[in-house]
Amino acid sequence: MDHKMSRSPWVIHYDGSSCNGCDIEVLASLTPLFDAERFGVVNTGNPKHADIFLVTGSVNAQNLPVVRQIYNQMLEPKCVVACGICACSGGVFRDAYNVIGGVDRAIPVDVYAPGCAIRPETVIDAIVEACGILDQKEAVMRAGGDPLTVGGAATWDGGVELVEDGFVAAAKAGGAPAGAPAASAGMPAAPAAAKEAE
Amino acid sequence: MTLLYFLTLFPLVPTLGMLLARGDRARDAVGLMGSGIIMSVTVVVAVMFFGTGPQSFEVAPGTSQVLSIISSAIDVILCAVILYNARKYKSTLTTVLGAVQLVGSVAFAAMTLPAAEVVTATPLHLDYMSVIMVLAIGIVGSLICVYALGYMKDFQAHDEHEAALRGQTAPDRRPQFLALMFLFLSAMFVIVTSDNLEWLFCGWEITTVCSFLMIGYTRTPEAIKNAFTQIILNMLGGIAFLAGLMFLHVNGMPLTISGMIELSGAGTAQSALLVMPVVLLSLAALTKAAQMPFHTWLLGAMVAPTPTSALLHSSTMVKAGVFLMVKLSPLYATYPVTGFMVTSVGAITFLLAALMAISQSNAKRVLAYSTISNLGLISACLGVGAPEAVWAAIFLILFHTVAKSLLFPCVGTAEHHIGSRNIEDMDGMFSRMPHLTRLMMLGIMGMFVAPFGMLVSKWGALVAFAQTGNVLMIMVLAFGSAATFFFWGKWLAKLSGVDPTAQNVEVNVHKTEWMALNTIAALLILCCVAFPVISSGLVSPYLAMVFGRVPYVIGKDSMYLMVVIVAFIAVVLLTSFRVSNKPHVNVYLSGVGTDNYRHFRGSMGHEVKAEKRNWYSEDALGEKRIGPAGSVVCCSIILFALLCCAWIGPERLAMSAPSVLRGKYFEGSGVVGIFIGTVAFALLAPLVGGLIDGVDRKLSARMQGRVGPRLLQPFYDVAKLLRKAPASVNTMDDTYMACALIFTVVGGGIFVSGSNTLLCAFMVTLAAIFVVLASASTQSPFAQVGADRELLQVMSYEPAVLLMSVGLYLATDSFDSIAVTGQSTPIIVYSAPIFLALLAVLTIKLRKSPFDLSYSHHAHQEIVQGVATEMSGGTLAKMTLMHWCETVLFLMWVGMFFVWDNPVSWVVALVVMAATYFVEVLIDNTFARSTWRSCFKLGWGVALVFGLLNLMPILVDVFI
Repeated sequence: MDHKMSRSPWVIHYDGSSCNGCDIEVLASLTPLFDAERFGVVNTGNPKHADIFLVTGSVNAQNLPVVRQIYNQMLEPKCVVACGICACSGGVFRDAYNVIGGVDRAIPVDVYAPGCAIRPETVIDAIVEACGILDQKEAVMRAGGDPLTVGGAATWDGGVELVEDGFVAAAKAGGAPAGAPAASAGMPAAPAAAKEAE
Repeated sequence: MTLLYFLTLFPLVPTLGMLLARGDRARDAVGLMGSGIIMSVTVVVAVMFFGTGPQSFEVAPGTSQVLSIISSAIDVILCAVILYNARKYKSTLTTVLGAVQLVGSVAFAAMTLPAAEVVTATPLHLDYMSVIMVLAIGIVGSLICVYALGYMKDFQAHDEHEAALRGQTAPDRRPQFLALMFLFLSAMFVIVTSDNLEWLFCGWEITTVCSFLMIGYTRTPEAIKNAFTQIILNMLGGIAFLAGLMFLHVNGMPLTISGMIELSGAGTAQSALLVMPVVLLSLAALTKAAQMPFHTWLLGAMVAPTPTSALLHSSTMVKAGVFLMVKLSPLYATYPVTGFMVTSVGAITFLLAALMAISQSNAKRVLAYSTISNLGLISACLGVGAPEAVWAAIFLILFHTVAKSLLFPCVGTAEHHIGSRNIEDMDGMFSRMPHLTRLMMLGIMGMFVAPFGMLVSKWGALVAFAQTGNVLMIMVLAFGSAATFFFWGKWLAKLSGVDPTAQNVEVNVHKTEWMALNTIAALLILCCVAFPVISSGLVSPYLAMVFGRVPYVIGKDSMYLMVVIVAFIAVVLLTSFRVSNKPHVNVYLSGVGTDNYRHFRGSMGHEVKAEKRNWYSEDALGEKRIGPAGSVVCCSIILFALLCCAWIGPERLAMSAPSVLRGKYFEGSGVVGIFIGTVAFALLAPLVGGLIDGVDRKLSARMQGRVGPRLLQPFYDVAKLLRKAPASVNTMDDTYMACALIFTVVGGGIFVSGSNTLLCAFMVTLAAIFVVLASASTQSPFAQVGADRELLQVMSYEPAVLLMSVGLYLATDSFDSIAVTGQSTPIIVYSAPIFLALLAVLTIKLRKSPFDLSYSHHAHQEIVQGVATEMSGGTLAKMTLMHWCETVLFLMWVGMFFVWDNPVSWVVALVVMAATYFVEVLIDNTFARSTWRSCFKLGWGVALVFGLLNLMPILVDVFI
């Protein structure tokens, strides 16, 4: 039985700085109407129980550490789904002074699910997609490998680092190579790199 | 004989030594040697006793008379001490009572001393009960004296520091204090070995005055006030005692306990007169045992240095009261009005003190209320006057002595090192004082959870009440135990918190304190492990001697099983044995946590600490509300008994109460059977339980008009959890959770093997405690809220679950589940109301809405799954498995009501179980979650109404 992870995808939902349109759709996809429980989906509301992290809205200086902490408290194998266009890239708000960007500025994203607002069908689709990555990660883990070499973490650029609490966010120039030290440590970005970019 | 003299007189040597010794080292030497010798002599006395058996000792008439004169003289001197202090501190009431007692003592001495009858042939005796008490006083009492040596150093240092701040010097009264402690032991030895009531009275009064002086030790206004409360209440008892003695003397009755019991059997007009002195002596015993309305002295005694509390509460003072009642217990069956008084006062005190303990946050006050409550239960058992109940009472005395003598010193030492005796300040104690906290947890567990002696004794009490058809007491016990569970449980949960940032502050605890604490802890475990031996070697022979029959209360196999579990818990708690070595993660604080100890980044950008306070319900259970009501009721009962004696002819009061002893016993299927049952249950219950869960989720989905998950979804979930990367908040939670799973499985095994259902229910409760420990140890505010709710749930359903076993007993005269298969009708016929009560609380037990307060498989984001918040991967899988096992077990409880000796009945039971579960799912999908208040009200309400409805016929039956 290679597919046990994917048969029980438990999710946690976090709202970044969205207009709440995507939140409503994410929660709608968990209601009896769309019956995500068909796939074993349970909304846990607790990172320690969850396998899939559903993030809506863009990342800003306030919520960036929160997103990271929730991500870090989830146990491998785990997956991140960016729900809606703001979570994918910052959407129409991406040039706003307070918006840093999509969720991948904070943590590695495995599945990008666009939409404004995202449709419940897309959410379920993205969860099913994430299930496949969960299975891959588990296979790697069972072979003694590092789960961060699978999915979004493998090609992640390390995102941004908050240099000073609150205000200064330094975007990292260029993409870090796959399997960069940041990724293997499970924490995004090395502060030194962020300083350099500044 | 010489040994007995030595035993009673030797403590006077360290008493004098303490007064003469100067300096800490000299006192330590005197204290250690004195205690050592007392302990050794105690053990020698016990060993010799086993060689010779119970004995009465003859004393030459001349010596006897001299001793009686001495004891009368001591009585007078004590009165003088009281009067001196009453004058010094201007306490009018004390002066009046002291004068009355002085006149009484002198008059009594004048009456009896010239008469020849004061010379009783055998004024001293040593029977099984005396030996138990001698061991308890000698060993536990001496250890408390040893503990006091170190404790008083800190106490004095603290006093001197305080005084220096005020620019004064603190007087050093330690010599007198330590001397009083040894004098106390001597007096206690006199009480437990005297058959001669006059000598016993002398010891009785010495303890009263000693504790008066010890409570007033600090001479603060509060201490003096409380000391006078103590002396006034105890002098009322003393005067009652003296009145009883005079009544005996005036009516020409013997002044010995054995003489009274002999006389009561005679059935003459004179023996009928005995009812009055028995009431008076019991009244004295009730005051000493701090029963309502006299309970306030024990609470006031808390101002004294902790060794006083430890000594008064555990092995001495209060135990003198119940000891006298043990001795008088054969008379309670003969004179129902006395039994009624003692049982009712005890029962009311037991229940109300347990409820009041919930509202307390001061650790010493919680301990005090718990003492009062347990003494109430002991009195209630003794008042029944049947060997079954006395069996339970003796064990309650024994285990209460040992567990309390561990708890008081623990709290005292903790107070010196964390600066508070408030339970709220005991956060993270598990890390701050690791060894002490483990001992404290052991002591608390010793007070209220299953395999430990205290709960086994309560179990014995329940069986005894069922066997003697004492319906009201069954109800009181069911509710009182639930309240007891709650107040101990929340304290235990508080202690278990692991605080990784804490510093170890127990490094400078005195050696003598450790010595005493470790020895008492070892003694507690030893007593629990030796339970079967104590029962067959000491308690049963005593009851056979006094009542002429040996009670059968708890089967041997159940006892052996409990011994194993005690050992297991002791190993888990006290050794550094850990199952979990997972990588460490911080607790979940909504993504804004800054460390692993409740700190988070607040919305204003600075660090905030999350606090979690315990549940007290001061408005409903406060002592100001409950205390006076209980006192009024208990006063009325005592007055009623006294008036009965005065107005109704004694002949009519000497009628034995009609009592029917129900006795048909099953031994279950023995240890081997339980083992096989446990293995079978461990293999099958998770499978069945998981399937039931799958059906449940499918069914719920259908009820909501959707397809729902696969039938085997719960198994996929658990399989996934087991494959997640391991991580843990601390090293303990996974171990606790594993224990919880094991105990649930053992509980199930006990049930399916056809053994004792009460033991099964206790195992489930024990599992609940370990779930609470697992979640409370994480220090996560979410998990601790969940732990509190879990405790509230247990308190809510506990009475109904105990009643379920009683319902089984009603129909089959046995507590073993196998008994139903021997019945020609299903037990539902006899116990339908109790069955309904069980159904009502089943919703709580199955964690279904509206009562899924602490954990359910439905997500409730506001508490992020309560108790399970910090559990991940394997730990969460264990909890899920445990819930499956529980579901199966609870449904089997339901099925039990429909099984009889017809094989077809198993099908009926299965159908009922399925229907019940369907109804539960229906309820789950129909109602929104309700509050804990309604959960609690429903749980207690149905248990009370349906329980009484079901049990009432027994009460009436006796008279028909």
